[in-house]
Amino acid sequence: MTNIIDPIAEIDEARVADQDVVIGKSRIIFRRFMRNRTAVAGLFIFLALFLFSVFGGFLTSWDKDTIDPLNIGMPPSPDHLLGTTQAGIDLMALIVDGTRTSILIGLIVGGVSVLISAVYGCTMAFFGGKVDATMLFILEALIMMPAILVVAVATSGSGGLKDLPSWLLLIVVLLFFSWMGTARLVRSLSMSLMQRDYVKAAKYMGVPSRRIVWRHLVPNIGSLLVLDFTRGITGAVLAEVAFSFIGIGIKLPDVSLGVLIGQATGQVSSFPWMFWVPLTVMFLLTGSLAMMNDGLRDAFDPSSSSIGRAKRTKPQTAKVTN
Amino acid sequence: MSTNTTPAERLRDAGLYAPGDAVLSVRDLNVRFNSENGVVHAVRGVDFDLMPGKTLGIVGESGSGKSVTSMAVMGLLPETADISGSVRFKGKELLGLSDKAMCKHRGNDIAMVFQDPLSSLTPVYTVGNQIIEALTVHNPTMSKQAKEARAVDLLRMVGIPSPKDRLKAFPHEFSGGMRQRVMIAIAIANDPRVLIADEPTTALDVTIQAQVLEVLHTAQEETGAAVVMITHDLGVVAGMADDIMVMYAGKPVETGTVEDIYYNPRMPYTLGLLGAVPRVDTATKQSLVPIEGTPPNLALPVTGCSFAARCPLVSDACLHGEPELIAVPGVEGQTLGHRAACIKSNELSNDADAHKIFHAPPKPVSKFDGVARVEREKVLELKDVKKHFPLLKGALIKRRIGTVKAVDGLSFDIREGECVSIVGESGCGKTTTLLEIMEFHPDQVGEVVIGGVSNKVATDHKTTMTMRKEMQMVFQDPTGALDPRFTVYEVLAEPLENLGMPKAAIKKRIMELMKLVGLQPDHVNRFPNQFSGGQRQRIGIARALAVNPKLVVLDEPVSALDVSVQAGVINLLDKLRAELGLSYLMVAHDLSVVRHISDRVAVMYLGKIVETGDVDDVFDNPRHPYTRALLSAIPVPDPNLERTRERIILQGDLPSPLDAPKGCNFATRCPVFAALPAAKQEKCLTLEPPLASEKDGAQDFACFFPDGEIDADMLVVHA
Amino acid sequence: MLKYLMKRSGIYLIMIFLTTSAGYFLAVSSLKPAVLEQEKIPRPTPEQVNASFRGLGLDPEKNAWERYVEWLGGIITRWDWGRSPNGAFVNAEFADRVMVSTRLFIASIILTLVIGVALGVYSAARQYKFQDRVITSYSYLVHILPAPIAYFLVQLGAISINEAVGERIFFVTGISTPGIEPGWPAFVDLVAHYAVPTFAMTIFGWAGYQIAQRQYLLDNVNADFVRTARAKGLTRNQAIRKHALRVSFIPVAQSIAFTIPAIFTGGFFAEAIFAWPGIGLWSIQAISLQDVNVATATLAYGSVIFAIGAILADFATTLVDPRVRVQ
Repeated sequence: MTNIIDPIAEIDEARVADQDVVIGKSRIIFRRFMRNRTAVAGLFIFLALFLFSVFGGFLTSWDKDTIDPLNIGMPPSPDHLLGTTQAGIDLMALIVDGTRTSILIGLIVGGVSVLISAVYGCTMAFFGGKVDATMLFILEALIMMPAILVVAVATSGSGGLKDLPSWLLLIVVLLFFSWMGTARLVRSLSMSLMQRDYVKAAKYMGVPSRRIVWRHLVPNIGSLLVLDFTRGITGAVLAEVAFSFIGIGIKLPDVSLGVLIGQATGQVSSFPWMFWVPLTVMFLLTGSLAMMNDGLRDAFDPSSSSIGRAKRTKPQTAKVTN
Repeated sequence: MSTNTTPAERLRDAGLYAPGDAVLSVRDLNVRFNSENGVVHAVRGVDFDLMPGKTLGIVGESGSGKSVTSMAVMGLLPETADISGSVRFKGKELLGLSDKAMCKHRGNDIAMVFQDPLSSLTPVYTVGNQIIEALTVHNPTMSKQAKEARAVDLLRMVGIPSPKDRLKAFPHEFSGGMRQRVMIAIAIANDPRVLIADEPTTALDVTIQAQVLEVLHTAQEETGAAVVMITHDLGVVAGMADDIMVMYAGKPVETGTVEDIYYNPRMPYTLGLLGAVPRVDTATKQSLVPIEGTPPNLALPVTGCSFAARCPLVSDACLHGEPELIAVPGVEGQTLGHRAACIKSNELSNDADAHKIFHAPPKPVSKFDGVARVEREKVLELKDVKKHFPLLKGALIKRRIGTVKAVDGLSFDIREGECVSIVGESGCGKTTTLLEIMEFHPDQVGEVVIGGVSNKVATDHKTTMTMRKEMQMVFQDPTGALDPRFTVYEVLAEPLENLGMPKAAIKKRIMELMKLVGLQPDHVNRFPNQFSGGQRQRIGIARALAVNPKLVVLDEPVSALDVSVQAGVINLLDKLRAELGLSYLMVAHDLSVVRHISDRVAVMYLGKIVETGDVDDVFDNPRHPYTRALLSAIPVPDPNLERTRERIILQGDLPSPLDAPKGCNFATRCPVFAALPAAKQEKCLTLEPPLASEKDGAQDFACFFPDGEIDADMLVVHA
Repeated sequence: MLKYLMKRSGIYLIMIFLTTSAGYFLAVSSLKPAVLEQEKIPRPTPEQVNASFRGLGLDPEKNAWERYVEWLGGIITRWDWGRSPNGAFVNAEFADRVMVSTRLFIASIILTLVIGVALGVYSAARQYKFQDRVITSYSYLVHILPAPIAYFLVQLGAISINEAVGERIFFVTGISTPGIEPGWPAFVDLVAHYAVPTFAMTIFGWAGYQIAQRQYLLDNVNADFVRTARAKGLTRNQAIRKHALRVSFIPVAQSIAFTIPAIFTGGFFAEAIFAWPGIGLWSIQAISLQDVNVATATLAYGSVIFAIGAILADFATTLVDPRVRVQ
């Protein structure tokens, strides 16, 4: 071993000691994301909707269970900002509730299904052989099942499942059918990652498997998972709306955007606000997530197609890390 | 470079040939691309005249603009490229022609062969279909039978066996070398006057490269076309080209006849390039010429000589104004066409020594160099290692149709301080051998002994770790070997953390490593994509050295690097071996590099070692016919030698491992076997030759008829 | 090839068996037709209900496993998929329902495919130009619009056209007008019924194909083999048409087959919104009527459709890609 120590190295050493490289990296990701204006706009819309669903109750003095007998089926007015239903319930209160249910379903289904697919996919890739073949068979069998029928059976049945609130039941069923595609992606991605030279290098250094998984595989699959999280939220929100719309998803007394839209279809010409308001909210919700997707992909992928953009960050990168 | 004729140009015109005769004449060609980082000026004023039937070699490294030049001539650059200047074919201006008008010339007057034969043919059409398409475009009236007959002729001309049947084959049924032959057949289908070959053999093995170069040679003879040969390999063009143009940073920096360029370079870059390439034919006992630094960014305006930043002769004058490409003042016996873009070309006389000018370091000496081999300890030993794979066929249905003996009974050892190289064509099992060593485990067939510990006892974590610590690996692709999400610090810290080293010690060690491999220590917080290829490979080497291994396994360590960068990395490897007393096990396809860096060499063919010994013994006096063929296939950057040298051209590709014959594996392609009388052939076909040395022989080889007479059909001399 | 297809079919048969069995257990344990019987007037006694259900093979007193064995035995021995709580035979109605669904989807499947692929090629050829941006943005917009709402909006549009014209041009629900005389009037009636659902399913269906075809073609436009074709003397457009397009169609052909089941699920919404008595609507209605056997039969049908799609995908790939052809 050569033991060349000189003053310059000492100084550099001191500099390295001051650095927290990890913070540097998340800052880069943040900056790359913030550079994409559409994505930032999407983030703001999403956050606004989220806050609305949590604190929107303060915007109206009514709640979703109280009937206003003086205002039945009224268009928007100072009393009821978004009008009332034909039953005399304040639409604003319903929308706040429905948005909360939809976001809740989206976040839980999106988040948990990403976790399931990551674990399932990694397990398949890691063990390979018989384990892989069996798990793949199960996965494909699940893909084959028409999810909509299972949703319908589960939410319409009068059996034991009936005891759960309908939103929770929908979450469970959606979760059951939402993770297979990503799991398959995670599987093929981790398989190709395990063939990368840097993973081999770590292996040849004797780095233990779980450490390799944690340090090399997880961060590299991470960007896929983050993207899939937003896509999963969109998918779950859309599925909830679609199912509730034809009457097999969320059931009253629970309220969701899909339920509100579905209920309003009968009287679009007489009570148009009841149809268009929840529909607009749904569009804002799914649209904001779609807007964020592109920015997230750029921010997380070191080899994304917008290399030009990534390159322009280099001077800043240097500043951040030096 | 302006379109006005310079005095030099007038001289050239008056002297050798008039541009009017030129079949292709390029003047002041400039190409600019818009990129996210600004306008990249990729080609900056290229001039050349191509005479009928002559060959022009364009030599340059990646990014030098050589391929962009050829694409501009063909009119194949994207519409967004800004092209100016003039490209004349037989006096007719081609630049500015519409895509449709240009199509009359493309494939008819000017044809092109591309670098990557694997992706250059459309996978969904048969080979015949693709050749006939080239004929149909330019000969719409030709009958179907005539076209088919012509296609068969073409395939025969490029040396594809049973051409009639192969017309119906799809590209994926051909090997890389065969596909490149098909590409050449397509290119010469309409007897073009100009044939542009862009790195046509870079993706191929040396033996196949020799075949394809031979086919190109035949094609040129048959069609009488002028050839533009674009390459980074100074050896490839040495024997073929009449004239050479050396490009750097988008500009020709030196032009002249082959002799001018190879024997009397007048531009420091050319001089350095020639010195940076190791020679396969001589035992070099000095370091390679390193060219420090990297080519300039062409998105920035060029103010001085573009090579100034890397040039050892640089002076203030070089930084002001880019030097013109002007005639080298007449020296006796020199042609008028020799021009160089260097204000100091006078200082580089005929006997300029690149090593001195570029301050090549002295050849480092290891403490082991004085010790006899047998007295040194073994750091690695393989005893009869075998690796057999089941061979599956079919894309959808996989069925086992046999066994591939990727590694079939390999035994060799590596001693302290020495470099052992394994060479052979792709598919010979050299990479599998490395994997067998790196992924050692107790259940392997055969024994792998690392630092005195056998794989058979590597059953617990502790033993495995001691073995791992002895041996580290450097990968072929420097980009793929580094996690893009890790900073250099994290990359280098990984092996140290794994050993449980304290944080302070890790930092200290990383600073040492950075200096050791010639990187700036304050770059540790950068990401791999902020480094050039050569620097990334240095990071890879630093990582391998982090834990102080005794043995470093090098998998094609320089093949992904440009020639000028390659020299620096090879010198570094040489230095590290001497200073740290390392041993190397290297796999490389470039035999020149192998000769330069190795002490011992093992030649592999179909999973077996066919010849092994000290590198100079094997290279100077190869005994096995395969080694002889392999060595003779390597082009040497020496035009005179290259033109008179005998070359053994092996027939066909590496055979499918399934067809491995009972006796000698090599018999199917063996040039000696082909010349043997039938009585003697019998022995090769029935008995397997053992790997052994002759009495007093320096090396071991596995052949019954060493130094045998070579079959005349496989011997080629271009005189 | 045949052997391979047989093997794949075998695997899918096992999967269909498993998914259908799982579906049966789910249905049998959560759907309780007896509950609905309680709402009848006069209200039957539980004994009466059980007796009538026993006769239909829906004995609520047996446990799930016993009923499964009985149900499976019926299918295997007599190809009898059981009966509904109202006594109807599943087998009898099944074929009619499938016919209605197939009639509804066939036109839009073909239109979706043709238009989607054509638009994909068109937009790829005009990458980043105005037309490309409009077409591709539209496709992405469709992605965030749930199918039933999209269909409903089309329905609203058709209604407003009818109102604007003042007479009924389009039927927004139903399959045909009962008692229409055959010949020309029947044909007009058919078109008037088909137009709206087919239009809705088509304009919201092609987005996926458009995006996929555009992307795959763009991936191939600058491929080495296109450059080779141009170097032979083909114009850029000829080279792309002849070489890139054919190669880019390989993955599209695969995805087409795989989207067949997606069209099937999309069909649930279309049938529900446009009130076509197809297999999708049947299954939804059956579930709300707590009909175990119909629910399971439609679920099995969905699995079969998926398996056919997957096998078709393999077949399509071998057809267009010589590299996977088995010699």
